Amino acid sequence: MTAILTMGRIFRGRWLATAGLCWLILVALAAIFAPLVAPYDPLEFDPLVRLSPPSQEHLFGTDHFGRDSFSRSLYGARMAIVIGFGSVVVALVAGGLAGMISAYFTRLGHVIMRIVDVLMAFPALLLALVLMTLLERSVVNTVIVIGIVYATTTARILFGMTLKLKGEVFVDAATCSGAGHASILFRHILPNLVSPLLVQASFIFAFAQLQAAALDFLGLGLPPEVPSWGNMLSESRIYVTRASWLLLFPGALIILSVFSMNLVGDALRDSIDPRFRNDIKGV
Amino acid sequence: MTRPNTDASDLLLDMRGLTLGVATPDGILPVVQDLSLSLSTGETLGIVGESGCGKSLTSLAIMGLLEGTPVRVLAGEIFFRGRDLLRLSPRERRAIMGNEMSMIFQEPMTSLNPVYRIGDQIIEAIREHRPMSRRAARDRALELLTMVRIPDPAGRIDSFPHQLSGGQRQRVMIAMALAGSPRLLIADEPTTALDVTVQAQILKLIVELQKDTGMGVMLISHDLGVIAETCDRIAVMYRGRVVETAGARELFQDMRHPYTRGLLDSIPEADEDVDRLSAIPGRVPTLDETITGCAFHPRCARAGAGCDSDQPALTAFAPTHFARCHYPLEPDA
Amino acid sequence: MTDAAPLLQVRDLKTHFTFRAPSTGVLPGPKRVLKAVDGVSFDLAEGEVLGIVGESGCGKSTVGRTLTKLEPATSGEALFRGRDILGLSAGAFRPLRREIQMIFQDPFASLNPRLTIEQTLAEPVRIHGLARTREEVRARISDTLVKVGLDPKVMTRYPHEFSGGQRQRIGIARVMIVEPRLVIADEAVSALDVSIQAQVLNLIKDLQRDSGISMLFISHDLGVVRHISDRVAVMYLGRIVETAPKAAIFEKPAHPYTRLLLASIPRIRPGRQPVVDLGEPASAASPPSGCAFHPRCPLATDICRSTRPDPVDLGNGRSSACHHAGQLLGEAA
Repeated sequence: MTAILTMGRIFRGRWLATAGLCWLILVALAAIFAPLVAPYDPLEFDPLVRLSPPSQEHLFGTDHFGRDSFSRSLYGARMAIVIGFGSVVVALVAGGLAGMISAYFTRLGHVIMRIVDVLMAFPALLLALVLMTLLERSVVNTVIVIGIVYATTTARILFGMTLKLKGEVFVDAATCSGAGHASILFRHILPNLVSPLLVQASFIFAFAQLQAAALDFLGLGLPPEVPSWGNMLSESRIYVTRASWLLLFPGALIILSVFSMNLVGDALRDSIDPRFRNDIKGV
Repeated sequence: MTRPNTDASDLLLDMRGLTLGVATPDGILPVVQDLSLSLSTGETLGIVGESGCGKSLTSLAIMGLLEGTPVRVLAGEIFFRGRDLLRLSPRERRAIMGNEMSMIFQEPMTSLNPVYRIGDQIIEAIREHRPMSRRAARDRALELLTMVRIPDPAGRIDSFPHQLSGGQRQRVMIAMALAGSPRLLIADEPTTALDVTVQAQILKLIVELQKDTGMGVMLISHDLGVIAETCDRIAVMYRGRVVETAGARELFQDMRHPYTRGLLDSIPEADEDVDRLSAIPGRVPTLDETITGCAFHPRCARAGAGCDSDQPALTAFAPTHFARCHYPLEPDA
Repeated sequence: MTDAAPLLQVRDLKTHFTFRAPSTGVLPGPKRVLKAVDGVSFDLAEGEVLGIVGESGCGKSTVGRTLTKLEPATSGEALFRGRDILGLSAGAFRPLRREIQMIFQDPFASLNPRLTIEQTLAEPVRIHGLARTREEVRARISDTLVKVGLDPKVMTRYPHEFSGGQRQRIGIARVMIVEPRLVIADEAVSALDVSIQAQVLNLIKDLQRDSGISMLFISHDLGVVRHISDRVAVMYLGRIVETAPKAAIFEKPAHPYTRLLLASIPRIRPGRQPVVDLGEPASAASPPSGCAFHPRCPLATDICRSTRPDPVDLGNGRSSACHHAGQLLGEAA
């Protein structure tokens, strides 16, 4: 109940972000109910209908194997969500821990943060490419690689915030109560990082889509048989002149979803940023 | 309401029924209500009260600085030398602000721009209102720094704000406020961020400048001591209203409002030993609380019939002494 | 004061901070030392309240933070029940944290906004093993909340639901719940409105008397210090310049800095003419030679410029670090 109220507060008067949220809910529903909704098996070849344009039977048309694009798009939503959540978990856990520990134990932090600096010196896609060439193409590896790429920025952000929180009086007060390092880090500091972590998560979720699509497109992401929006783009690029719908639908899905996630992320960020808070006690 | 007969030519500032409200998601909450105060040339008026009493918002309303805040003027008039500030165009107001009327704030570090030399900031302030050459403005800036008793003004004029101590920064702020030779100086908690020895210096400076220039000074503070030592007349505010106003001596000899008494008795003084302070019970109300009748009644020991329903009117106890209380204190025997 | 051994004996305590001066070129600037606390010694008896007063930057807060090991000491000793605590490791000091507690200044910053009052108060109880079951913990929290004047029902709420005064009561509850022997109060009432400050001061005084704890009460406000302390130490630039029983120090200050401080307080009742100098405290990063106060001192002579005065015992429990202390006392007598 309180969650609904909070959502109401965050999205009140933001119709664009609300539209984004609705789109994301639709994508999530598509992903969950893909087997029920999909008219065809996404992996089934049907040579008779190769490269047929959108029609009543095939809403998004078919690809060069005659697979139904609409069904593949629905299953692609599953992949999008798996990649998104997986990357978020990896990035927040690895990056969050690195950032918090670096800020709290300054000496160790010097070492960790220099490693983070080196990783951040690479463009995100390049870093992902390098890591993927070392690993096998699989869903798990893609998630880990994208997670590591965004762990660096998460570590940076959490480093700064933890450093600030570490200087808060309530941390001194906890120390005076006899609290140990683990208790201060996870009981006193971490709960104050939840809101920024949530915002960070929404942006990582969005960027992970782009990153995964790019990796798929370059043939270094998910295995080619997995129905994902990036793979669909990748496979259809040689047919772009003959079957533009093959590019259009997955492309539009990626853009719409990333845009929606960014809108929701903006709304979340604004709702926790004190500069946007209407605090009447402050005047 | 009766008000003291003041010679109209001397009347510098005259606020009548000023009411301010803050817009919140739950509607408009009043923050200053029916405030009427006046200030004459050469007079120092002190406004004292606790957090949320509306004293700072009043000064911002006079200076026209409420824009960008959720606070709005709902009613009332602010006459400055016979003209209602609230009916002037923004351009006419700007001509008055910083010129005939200027203001100093609590935090001298944030009020100065850290990347410019203080001399340049003062020169800027001077040329804002009076076209003159940079050289002439620089001479005037030196003159102002001398006026505010900055040691070695010629050496200090090219310093950056961070190179000055807190007290010197406040002196620079005062120098900038004096750039337009104002007739009214509003000082909002000018010494709150300063140490007590430096506070004494700044207060002395303000009093001396006021005597030298004959300007009117409105001093806003939470510290009754600061107000008592500096001001000719004092207005005590509680929750958006003036609850008592009187000449400084008059007020401390013959206070009528229980809140004024409570405020005074709450202060531990360095000159006397008391075993227990007689604190005012309860807490300072927040803006979103609705209190009917007298806003002080939930904390008042004298509260009786009517206090929780009827807003008491400002009643005269002497020609210049008013208080807003149904059961005012008796004069001390 | 009792004749028994003091609870806390601080000997020549120094807390220095190293920082880098601003760089003038490519290379990092030279290392500088800020002597925040530079040789402080005092005793605190069982059940005694020692006020430490001084202006910002004098090192009074650093003394408190060093004694609670929030800052590492550079040298010196602090014997708590005869045992030096400064040399103890964090682990070895942890059990002593129960006995040595601290009240912080800012009631808004000192409570974790994400924890309920119950969670905040349960933490020290659990850490120090003061209650076994959940019910015992809760009973202890209830008792303590009642003691500080709050309804035990509030324990399920979050800090933002409370006013400043209530939060400070919660901060005091967090300290009292472990039954400490020594409480260090760092500007414990400075952030509060006057009417609330008086309530909290009364509360602290009552709790201190009832439980017989010793207290180090650090404040910039001389009135507050006079109200609560048995004995007062005045600090200037990292050192104690005068220590005396409170009546003596407020009536007959034996150090020119104490005298300046007292004269600087704005008075509500007219009487004393404020003494005003033009100086401000020098930075602890570059203290003046000899007596640190000599540039502002009306009594300064050659010896003050060259030789740093050590505290001299003047009898009756008072000492002053001034070459001219005798002259000052003679004058007052």
